[in-house]
Amino acid sequence: MAEQNVVTPDLNFIKEIINAGGESLKKCFQCATCSVVCNVTPDSKPFPRKEMIHAQWGLKDRLVNNPDIWLCHQCSDCTAYCPRGAKPGEVLGAVRKLSLQHYSVPVFLAKAVGSSKALLLLLAIPTVIFLLITASIGTLSSIPRGEDGAIVYSKFIPVPYIDAIFITVATLAALSFVLGILKYWKGMSSGMSKVQGSLVNSILSTIIEILLHKRFKKCDLTKGRQTSHLLVFYGFVGLAITTTLAIWYLYGLKWESPYPLTDPLKIIGNLSALGLIIGITLVILNRFKNKEKAGLGSYFDWLFITVIYIIAATGILAEMTRLANIPLLAYPIYFVHLVFVFFLFAYAPFSKMAHMVYRTTAMVYAKQVGREIETDVKTV
Amino acid sequence: MTDQNRNVLVIGGGMSGLTAAVEAAEAGYDVFIVEKNSYLGGRVAQLNKYFPKLCPPNCGLEINFKRIKNNAQVTFYTLSEAEKISGQEGNFDVTIKINPRYINNKCTGCNKCAEVCPVERPDEFNFGMDNTKAAYIPHNQAFPFKYVIDDKYCKGPSCAKCVEACKYDAIHLDMKPETINIKVGSVILAAGWNLYDATKVDNLGFGKVQNVITNMMMERLASPNGPTNGKILRPSDGKEVKSIAFVQCAGSRDENHLPYCSYICCMASLKQATYIREQYPDSKVQIFYIDIRTPGRYEQFYWKVRDDENVVLTKGKVARITEDPETKDVIVEAEDIYGGSKLKARFDMVVLAAGMVPSTKGAKIPADISYTAEGFVVPSSLKKGIYAIGTLKSPVDVARSVQDATGAAIKSIQSMVRR
Repeated sequence: MAEQNVVTPDLNFIKEIINAGGESLKKCFQCATCSVVCNVTPDSKPFPRKEMIHAQWGLKDRLVNNPDIWLCHQCSDCTAYCPRGAKPGEVLGAVRKLSLQHYSVPVFLAKAVGSSKALLLLLAIPTVIFLLITASIGTLSSIPRGEDGAIVYSKFIPVPYIDAIFITVATLAALSFVLGILKYWKGMSSGMSKVQGSLVNSILSTIIEILLHKRFKKCDLTKGRQTSHLLVFYGFVGLAITTTLAIWYLYGLKWESPYPLTDPLKIIGNLSALGLIIGITLVILNRFKNKEKAGLGSYFDWLFITVIYIIAATGILAEMTRLANIPLLAYPIYFVHLVFVFFLFAYAPFSKMAHMVYRTTAMVYAKQVGREIETDVKTV
Repeated sequence: MTDQNRNVLVIGGGMSGLTAAVEAAEAGYDVFIVEKNSYLGGRVAQLNKYFPKLCPPNCGLEINFKRIKNNAQVTFYTLSEAEKISGQEGNFDVTIKINPRYINNKCTGCNKCAEVCPVERPDEFNFGMDNTKAAYIPHNQAFPFKYVIDDKYCKGPSCAKCVEACKYDAIHLDMKPETINIKVGSVILAAGWNLYDATKVDNLGFGKVQNVITNMMMERLASPNGPTNGKILRPSDGKEVKSIAFVQCAGSRDENHLPYCSYICCMASLKQATYIREQYPDSKVQIFYIDIRTPGRYEQFYWKVRDDENVVLTKGKVARITEDPETKDVIVEAEDIYGGSKLKARFDMVVLAAGMVPSTKGAKIPADISYTAEGFVVPSSLKKGIYAIGTLKSPVDVARSVQDATGAAIKSIQSMVRR
């Protein structure tokens, strides 16, 4: 690798890291304890010690273009053992946020999702959309009931509206992701050694690793995260399967919801929702349990956690209040559920949700450039 | 002013306390030394060599012991502790508890008691690396050269084999603690330091990995009067130590342990590197550090060690130590910061450069004194007539402790005569 001789510190970037939750970064005195206690770093040019000095110096290019920031799974072993309270885990979390803001398009939306000031505005968009729809079709004032007076959410907001909105939102998010990832790949390639391995093999082994959650197993302090993240992850996978089935039921089988609880679709959906709510609750509990040693996390972390929690909770409550036939609760809860699902999908490329795409990309890239070779024990 | 008010109390009979005591006594004042161990000399007595001159500490200690022996104005109490200090400058009342030694001044040091003693105790002077009998001499240069019986291990009058064996009627197993009261005009606090408990640095393996020792254990291993008579052999199998790593800042400069630099550890490790290099000419030494801190003119000592081609200095703190279960070799992990890679290296033995903890972190002085969160005495909190010296205020080396002690001797005299 050709070393640059001139470093150009980006002072503003240092401030951005500090504001994004990396306020402790200046405490680092480069002892390298972090790189050694880290169980997920490669042996060659290990992280996060070098990222800490790059952050202190404002070397933005070396941080945002770096696959290592995503190889970090924030086990927080580094933070627990840091002799200075510099919290490398939290600093890398802040750098990841700035990296995905750097790549995601459009930039203004990325900035908005990253800032607590814009939260109400971001929530207002889906709220207004769903209010306008229900007002214009008249279901806001009087909601038609199904047979026997049962609650039927598709009579509140008919499926074509839901589909139109969410297909649009998902397509735009996917487009933004593709653009962001292409830029990121290019960025990584500019800073690092040449790509060598087979892309297909790298992708396959990355996917297997993610499905098995292998990396989380290596964490010491935050061991519990393997279970919590696994539950959230498979909760989402299950809900994606549920959604696919629902599309097939509706358009393939021409069978409209609601479906009986014994139907495979409902079983998968309900189990996934249960996994999601247990998983995200464990995420919150783990964060509080380890807050002394690992830090509590940033606004960016908590926004994502809260959104998932609300989606899981309102999803389950919407189903329960519907079955219990309490329209006064059921419809408002369902409405909130829709607003937050919109929030999650529409803002995915700019929120912590994007970690699933950026981290996967970085892991593939790292495999491609042979970033994971271990060093042997040397006898002195 | 009465004569009684012209006395100086020195708490702690290590290098600092001894120095302050003899300086004040030689200026004509009566001095009482209260020492908790059964011997004088403190931590310095445990050292193999001083830095940077690499001379044995016993010569410095012996000079002080000789000055005490020749000076009737110094009274010292071993196995003792001050229980209460009250009053004010020029007129302090002090209560001293003297624990039983079970052996009186008739002891000639003939070793007969130890020969017949049936029980053993871990030798804390050698950090538990060997055992002594319950009737023992603390070390072969001990002053006073009198045996002592460890009542935690001694079986008491029911055994009494030592009493029979002693030809001099020196052993009295029925000795009881005594309490005495003295009046002094000033007090010098020289209670010294303890080594940081390295088992607390859980990633460095001390207590779990057999061949990981502390820097103070290394002093004992290298000392001619140590457990191996000065041969540097590793604990697991007594193998000669041909490759050794020094782990700097093992607890020091770490908010989770000691949030300060212990000042002496870099010099201590560089010094100990010379022990190994001298004893085994083909040996290899690697020192892992955050920063090598050799204050003032000690820099030149650093250059000398650094220029030895068998000594490698690696920037990067060791943060993981494991044991090869087969060979008991020690595997050290660090990031070689300048080399840009993680490094896993195998050594015969590893020395943790553990830091200094003021003794007042645990046992407080029985007077109205403020301490820092780390246990150091806050000098400005001391009332008139009380002076803290040496490692009680900040980690320092022997040379600075002695300077501090000499200064405190004159301060304590001034405080008694200036009114």
